[in-house]
Amino acid sequence: MGKTARHLRPLAALLGAALALSTTACGGATDASPAAEAVDISGSISGQTINYWSMWKDGEPQQKVIATAIADFEKETGAKVSVQWQGRSNTEKLVPALNTNNVPDLVDGTLAKLAPVIGETGQASPLTSVYAYELDGKTISSVIPEKFTSNGVFKGEDGQPWMVPYSISSDGIWFDAARHPELKAKPPATWDEFMAVLDKLKAGGTAPIAADGDIAGYNSTWFVTSLLRLKGAGSFKALAEDKSGAGWDDPAVLEAAKKVESLVKGGYLNSGYNASKFPAQQQLWANGDAALILNGSWTPTETGSYAAPGFEYSSFQFPAIGDKPASARVDFIGFAVPAKSKNQAPAQRLAAYLLGSKYQDALGTDAKVLPVRQDAPVDPAVASVKAAIDAAPATHLQNDGVTFPGYTEKVFFPRDDELFLGKTTAAEFVAKMKEAQIQYWKDNG
Amino acid sequence: MSIGLKEPRAGKAAAQNTASRKPAGRKAPAQDRRPGSSIDVQRKKLLVPFVGPAFVLYTVLFIVPALGAVWISLHKWAGSGPMKFVGLDNYGRIFRDRLFLSSFGNTLLLLFVVGAAIFILAFAMTLVLRDMAGKKMVRNVIFFPHLINALVFGVLAGFIFNPGGMVNSLLAPFGVTDPPKWLAQDNIFPLIMVTLVCTTTGYFTTILMAGVDRIPPYYYEDCALAGASAFQRLRYVILPLTWDVFGTCAVLWTISSVKIFEIVWVFGGSSGAGVPPTQSWTAAVYTYVNAFSGQSTPAYGAATASAVLSLALISVLVVLLRRAMRRDAVEF
Repeated sequence: MGKTARHLRPLAALLGAALALSTTACGGATDASPAAEAVDISGSISGQTINYWSMWKDGEPQQKVIATAIADFEKETGAKVSVQWQGRSNTEKLVPALNTNNVPDLVDGTLAKLAPVIGETGQASPLTSVYAYELDGKTISSVIPEKFTSNGVFKGEDGQPWMVPYSISSDGIWFDAARHPELKAKPPATWDEFMAVLDKLKAGGTAPIAADGDIAGYNSTWFVTSLLRLKGAGSFKALAEDKSGAGWDDPAVLEAAKKVESLVKGGYLNSGYNASKFPAQQQLWANGDAALILNGSWTPTETGSYAAPGFEYSSFQFPAIGDKPASARVDFIGFAVPAKSKNQAPAQRLAAYLLGSKYQDALGTDAKVLPVRQDAPVDPAVASVKAAIDAAPATHLQNDGVTFPGYTEKVFFPRDDELFLGKTTAAEFVAKMKEAQIQYWKDNG
Repeated sequence: MSIGLKEPRAGKAAAQNTASRKPAGRKAPAQDRRPGSSIDVQRKKLLVPFVGPAFVLYTVLFIVPALGAVWISLHKWAGSGPMKFVGLDNYGRIFRDRLFLSSFGNTLLLLFVVGAAIFILAFAMTLVLRDMAGKKMVRNVIFFPHLINALVFGVLAGFIFNPGGMVNSLLAPFGVTDPPKWLAQDNIFPLIMVTLVCTTTGYFTTILMAGVDRIPPYYYEDCALAGASAFQRLRYVILPLTWDVFGTCAVLWTISSVKIFEIVWVFGGSSGAGVPPTQSWTAAVYTYVNAFSGQSTPAYGAATASAVLSLALISVLVVLLRRAMRRDAVEF
């Protein structure tokens, strides 16, 4: 025994050392979040360095604008910015980093991706100082349209904003204005007018609507927007939050589902939409094989390379159903600063800097996306979307901002897919959703 | 549930296995208990420098993270920020989740149905290829699909099976005007199964052939002299002499099939732009969606719970398989 013990002792020591090493490496997972206080960012930041993990990859149009801004920023302030152009996976890389003390000083991403990772977990610094910061004589909060901030989407549990948007995205029902000038002249404003347009297109031998049915997020836009038109922004989130599931008994919910059903049953969707692989259907649409597509404000850039010659991008908003003021979908892309960052002032200054009109204009005209500032010009292809956002009295997020863990992927998307792909009726969809949602909240409540 | 019932036995088998294997390195010095034997002393000296680094790396990189995963699976956690201890709730929840059960069912389909198809085909090909002219070239050709990234098959699936894709264009001249909806949500998983059979069979055929090539030719001559049929040759010569190779292949497939993920992800869900339809989820996809779908708050507790269950499944299956396949190796 003595001998084996002697063998084991060094191994046990090694095991102990290994355990100690790895637990210290992972330590801090349960640390309370550091004190979150707004900092003064107006002083000199010359000589300071920040690490920025970007959601853009080298060569993307948005990357070029931000790189220009960074170069100007460094020259103007004397601070240094060390950038990693990581691409969209930067938020996934951020999660493990937040459990260490080695965090980036600045990250960007969509609100939908940053909120679960850094906003709702209390890991972001309050950016109150950024909103109060003055650029060219105007505060940042005054250049961001009030309807974007008034519903509190950027606010954390402490009531302070943790994100500063620099760009937005939206959606619309897109068409080729060169081929359908009548739609540009008089876009359908109500559901009945919309159905009349569809009938006319169908009678003319054109497939009315193209849809990449394998993307659940696109499919769900039809039901969610119908519901928001009927009951207003925030109503889908309220419906999903309802632990009793009784909200699904509301006749308005069934009506929204019936709108989707009518598109499917009416044969308005391009044949094959329910058995194809993205981007096959949007390619068909860009080739002129279908007239309309409900998709994001990125559609002109995404389909531009294969669109038919002479294609003129235009869009109209999802038609009104009922008399609620129609909200426009607005999703945000912007900056957040991890609370553990030790270089708060320069990081927050850079976040503010990108709202300068020079870079906002460049985002609109060079990168052809929608800048967050209302006074920034945009490319003609997205002018119709911008006009709709400017005119809308309120805004809503994609899926109405529902991010309950697993609800979207496991409860809503599968059943909504069945409805949109024609496998269930509106009534069955509503009944299935009610049952699944009650079970979901029983398990996750 | 049958797995649960068999668990104690499997556990014992595992214990036996480790008892019979692990000490192999350590038993040796214990056997020659001559104190002061210079070999014994040398061995002792070499144990730490030789085993140590691997042991430390293995512990830090595999064992500790695995234990960490078990720890996380007992919590409700979004990946960062506060962790809430919930005990075994995550396990109870995923067992009640029909989606987990169907994902798990798909994993078992891959493991058993695809596995059976692969091994039957691989064996058949091995037998055919043994006597074939140009078998080296054929072997390379059938191995080739295994080298290709699954992403390629995901993208290709679109070209081939889209409504305006290759298959339908080829069918059109034959008067097929209403072809099946190849890429409908319900058809994606069967397509994935077929793709996996096509890409993996070559890999196992190559390994099995290496085993078959080892068999000395005089056994076949003996068979010919004794007038054995092709089946008898398989039954009495080839199978017994390649049994250990076959056993290893079975374990390799078990381990890799439970982890199949990327091909499901790219086949549906449009090459990563969304989440694949739930009909095609495997346990690995379920795990991933819970943690990283990007559509909702990550649930690391539920994700690790399903990963831990997958690990438990692999361990139990591998132990059972090793036990079922155990034969005395035929020396030749």
